[in-house]
Amino acid sequence: MSAYQPKIVCFSCNFGWGYLSNKSELMQKIQNWIPITCTAKIDPLFIFQAFAKGADGVLILACPETQCHYEDGEFRTEKMVLLLQNVIEAFGIQRERVQIMFARDPEGHDISNLVERMRNKINALGPLPKDIKGKGEYTYGQKA
Amino acid sequence: MAKKPKIAILWLSACAGCDEAIVDLNESLLKTLEPVDIVLWPVAMDYKYSHIHALNDKEILLSVISGAIRNSEQEELAHLLAKKSKMIFAFGTCACYGGSAGLANFCSKEEIMNWVYKDAPTVVNPSGQIPQPKTRINENIELTLPEFYEQVYALDQIIDVDFYLPGCPPPPDLIINAVQHFLSGDLPPKGSKLASRTALCEVCPRNHTKPPRLEIKEIKRVHEYEADPDRCFLAQGILCLGPMTRSGCGETCISVNTPCRGCFGPLPGVLDAGAKGISMLACILKAGQSRNPKKLMNSLVDPAGYFYRFTQPVSILNQKWRRSND
Ligand code: SF4
Ligand code: SF4
Repeated sequence: MSAYQPKIVCFSCNFGWGYLSNKSELMQKIQNWIPITCTAKIDPLFIFQAFAKGADGVLILACPETQCHYEDGEFRTEKMVLLLQNVIEAFGIQRERVQIMFARDPEGHDISNLVERMRNKINALGPLPKDIKGKGEYTYGQKA
Repeated sequence: MAKKPKIAILWLSACAGCDEAIVDLNESLLKTLEPVDIVLWPVAMDYKYSHIHALNDKEILLSVISGAIRNSEQEELAHLLAKKSKMIFAFGTCACYGGSAGLANFCSKEEIMNWVYKDAPTVVNPSGQIPQPKTRINENIELTLPEFYEQVYALDQIIDVDFYLPGCPPPPDLIINAVQHFLSGDLPPKGSKLASRTALCEVCPRNHTKPPRLEIKEIKRVHEYEADPDRCFLAQGILCLGPMTRSGCGETCISVNTPCRGCFGPLPGVLDAGAKGISMLACILKAGQSRNPKKLMNSLVDPAGYFYRFTQPVSILNQKWRRSND
């Protein structure tokens, strides 16, 4: 059973996370790490598409409260995540699969540990149900 | 005399509101339909499916199909019309996006069957029977029913669709406009939605009352609060989907002091109504100085049902069943 390796997509803000690191080196180490200029730029669509393309969890690393380069981006992201968590639950996706953290790590030392920690948490939840709420693979028609 | 072009009008998993919208064209219906031959219209005429089977492939110019697809009979009919028609017109929001019927996708087939045939308080079913696609009566007779699918599908998840007209139901001016396009042969590119490309807010008579910076501190629900009939709903703290919904409905809800629920579906280019709804509301819901947004965010009752009221079947998360086995 240990063959299951949850795929985690990690977004992090360029102003708080890893801006002093060697990004391309770090990217080799951390799969699916997406540095972004302000987490408020994360469209909920990105998270849905991540799930649709096979992610088992999404981790957002935002800046600490009051330290957003754009005033309150981290707060907007937090609100978005709270709403989104309520929406994905209706689709049978546990809310824990989307998480947000507020901190700073310019050297990016912690990112891979945080992703690993998220991976372990998601591992305990098991794989994302492929057929959400028992919707079977669609076979009758030709269009699927 | 040249033969009139043939048209089929069919309802699938529909409420008949879309058919009603066609009937409601009244006198102009007669004029609009004068140049065509209707070969199928279950709500209004007697017909046999065998007549449709007997037609040549692509003999029907246009099939106007309303409703979503939930069972095998509906799927079979959709395929039949696809085979016999030159053009397929997804008519109404159910056919375009799955519609309100698509909300059923938030429950599994099993949950639906159990509620409808066993658990609902009005049900008397001591032997716990649930309809089966096949029931053997005796050695010679087996009765069949269409199979109830695991989920609701929008029309284009089953067959190829040429044109779409959203609306629950579509309004008369857009129906007549569409018919004229079809009959004149002056057609937009395949896949077009024969409706406006702007948001409802842009044509809403209340738009000028919207403040430059919208902030909602408390969500008010329509049944709990008497809305000012002239002010923008969002400015009053009542949720309205006008900013993310295609216009063209004729502002019918707004004019009876009811906020937009999104029946015309999302704007062009939007891949997922829920994703848009979440970003829209996360921006304007203002969670005080304490910066504790949880209470306000959780006060939106049934957010998934709210954002996907008309588009659940085509939502990205619902379509996960298409995901390959990687
Ligand atoms: S789109 Fe609306 S009016 Fe048309 S069938 Fe669906 S629910 Fe009825
Ligand atoms: S939010 Fe609603 S009420 Fe306000 S302008 Fe837009 S459509 Fe009109």
